[in-house]
Amino acid sequence: MDKASLEENTFELISYMIVSARNLLDEPSRYGPFRLVDAASRLVEILNRIGLRSERIEKIKSQIEVGKHSVMTSEEEFHGFLDSLVSSVIEEI
Amino acid sequence: MEVFEAIKGRRSIRNFEDRPVGKEVLQRLIEAGIWAPSGGNAQTWRFIVITEKDMLKKMKMVSPGLLGNPPAVIVTCQDRKEAERKGGKLGVESVSVMDTAMAAQNIMLAAYALDLGACPIASFHKKGIQRLLRLPEEIFPQLLISVGYPKEVPNPLKRQTEGICFFEEYCG
Repeated sequence: MDKASLEENTFELISYMIVSARNLLDEPSRYGPFRLVDAASRLVEILNRIGLRSERIEKIKSQIEVGKHSVMTSEEEFHGFLDSLVSSVIEEI
Repeated sequence: MEVFEAIKGRRSIRNFEDRPVGKEVLQRLIEAGIWAPSGGNAQTWRFIVITEKDMLKKMKMVSPGLLGNPPAVIVTCQDRKEAERKGGKLGVESVSVMDTAMAAQNIMLAAYALDLGACPIASFHKKGIQRLLRLPEEIFPQLLISVGYPKEVPNPLKRQTEGICFFEEYCG
């Protein structure tokens, strides 16, 4: 990925995070954690595009992609997904 | 397709195939939208269909709820000036908003009947979308509808049936 593409990808992520910050003032509170983990996943995508890969980061991204949509289905499930995600991160520290 | 089949089979699709949706198909969706009920027959809905990739990318930047990469987005708007002229305060604050919502449901059911997937999105920055699409102030975006061929179809969500409907008398 060249510098211009990296800048563009990064700008997209920054926009997503800033607009989310504003919109979350008016949105359901559980959308906040969703946007945060989704932003983490988007950041990993950018890192992949510039060739930066690591097993532990990939593992966390996969876990996010599998569980993030539970925000729409079940509060309990979403809570469990976040707990398990945090455990995975702690294991990797 | 039978109406109940469409109502119960439709899902909110957030993962799309990388395959364009033809203009004629999109026009059929809009046709379904404009056959929705409209208070006082005001028809103050307006639809902007976006398929151009660069614009879709820009829209995503101000629409955190717009997930996946849909090949088309229908921006469902109300013409607030017309709504006020035709329906007064009630028209602009309530009826016109409900009209656009009913049109949106028609669009999503029609999408399902045409083997497409769709998802209604309210998490977006209204003024951001207005600026990107150069909409006049009175054309107010209420809902984005992402449209495309589904890559993944989620399981149906459980529906609450208890304590939501009462016959003759409210007993909540």
